[in-house]
Amino acid sequence: MAYEYHRSGSLEEALVLAAGDDSALIAGGTDLLVALRKRKRPAPRHMVSIRSLPELAEVSEQAGSLHIGAGVPMADVLANTVVREHLPALTAALAVIGSRQIRNVATLGGNLCNASPAADSAPPLLVYEATLELAGSSGRREIAISDFFLGPGRTVLRPGEIMTAIRVPLPGAGAQSAFLRRSRVAMDLATASLAAAYTARDGKLINLRLAAGAVAPTPLRLRRTEAFLEGKPVAEETLAEAAEIARSEVAPISDLRGSEWYRRELIGVFLSRALRPRSTRMKGSA
Amino acid sequence: MKTLLRFQLNGREVAFEAPPHARLLDVLRDIAGLTGTKEGCGEGECGACTVLVDGRALNSCLFPALEADGRSVVTVEGLASREGGLSELQQAFVDEGGAQCGFCTPGMVMSAAALLAENHSPSDDEIREALVGNLCRCTGYTQIIASIRAAGERIGKAATQ
Ligand SMILES: Cc1cc2nc3c(=O)[nH]c(=O)nc-3n(C[C@H](O)[C@H](O)[C@H](O)COP(=O)(O)OP(=O)(O)OC[C@H]3O[C@@H](n4cnc5c(N)ncnc54)[C@H](O)[C@@H]3O)c2cc1C
Ligand code: FES
Ligand code: FES
Repeated sequence: MAYEYHRSGSLEEALVLAAGDDSALIAGGTDLLVALRKRKRPAPRHMVSIRSLPELAEVSEQAGSLHIGAGVPMADVLANTVVREHLPALTAALAVIGSRQIRNVATLGGNLCNASPAADSAPPLLVYEATLELAGSSGRREIAISDFFLGPGRTVLRPGEIMTAIRVPLPGAGAQSAFLRRSRVAMDLATASLAAAYTARDGKLINLRLAAGAVAPTPLRLRRTEAFLEGKPVAEETLAEAAEIARSEVAPISDLRGSEWYRRELIGVFLSRALRPRSTRMKGSA
Repeated sequence: MKTLLRFQLNGREVAFEAPPHARLLDVLRDIAGLTGTKEGCGEGECGACTVLVDGRALNSCLFPALEADGRSVVTVEGLASREGGLSELQQAFVDEGGAQCGFCTPGMVMSAAALLAENHSPSDDEIREALVGNLCRCTGYTQIIASIRAAGERIGKAATQ
């Protein structure tokens, strides 16, 4: 592993370094360094560190949205009072990522850019319809998170492009959201997960958004299930029918964390748990 | 090519030369000679390598040494007094039988130090949550939790006296 290590002092400097040949960005390093160690990817010639770049380090509320710097450690996102108050699905997801030691260095940007189908921050950010801010040597652009993932480890990021922030519209009054996840043991990646966001009006589901993790090549919005449920009252038969649609909408694989069948079953179970009125909802496995 | 790296190690200013791929763990054990910090998995799973950087517990096996430049690092050696007297937390591990083979102990102690710095009287669930990233192959978790609870009580008492 003979790379050079560059601690960039500013975003401009990082963009220049990252545009060079055979370079890799490193934020918290909790995915990248483990992948290098396990020889799952070749070592780059140049490691470009974006840890603690001031441009990526801020969390602030701007015009009804929460702007989360891509380089903010998960622990700080989790401790943020706006996140805890308004974004319960994201809070629940971050709380189960790795351990304290991991969350103290792992970043939200790294979780998304690593593009694991099991990235736990992705389903919540999909249902909150977050916008991702990207910077490249040829300029800045923004992209909806639903257009970001292309496959396991693959995103629309161009070579040398840096995610600078995640912008999350803050849900309005009365909006609810939840995140459910199953893993074999603590500190394991998800076997399957589901995030839901909606408003319940007169017992009906309004503006429902659903997203699943670890059950397809990318984190996935469940648009057919959403369309079926939108505007409907939450009745047991409706939920059963919706669970059937959700099970057919995902495309899981069988691996050591669970079989394809089990993963589909989990999505169905999570769906009814997430949408049942609170009084009858079983306590989530979070 | 080695880079000069300066940081505060257990309260003292230090300077070492380290290659670009060195982990903080390598610098602590092999260059600084502080072998209290252990390497179990080298992949962020076991927590034996836990140290505090700027007061936060992290896995030194996943922390590039060069990132420690300009920061403050505390290892298990740094908890004891300069004369070698154990801290309340370390003494509680001795008194409550919190160590068996001892391999996980430095990491456990550092995770506990970070927890107690923000919360003197953690519940058992809070202690367990803070130790999710620390594995004990001897499975002495019950005594480890008792040690941390006892340390919190002693520190709390000392603070109110
Ligand atoms: C023990 C352990 C447990 C874990 N548990 C979980 C878990 O429960 N759930 C979960 O989802 N993940 C888990 N992870 C994975 C990992 O911690 C997260 O994915 C983490 O958020 C990655 O962030 P990072 O800053 O460490 O990324 P890095 O490793 O620094 O980077 C990951 C990838 O993203 C790229 N990248 C990083 N930041 C940017 C950016 N701003 N712009 C462009 N590209 C960028 C890097 O080039 C690299 O390819 C775990 C990891 C370990 C070691
Ligand atoms: S050696 Fe660092 S976590 Fe296991
Ligand atoms: S005391 Fe032996 S590993 Fe914990």
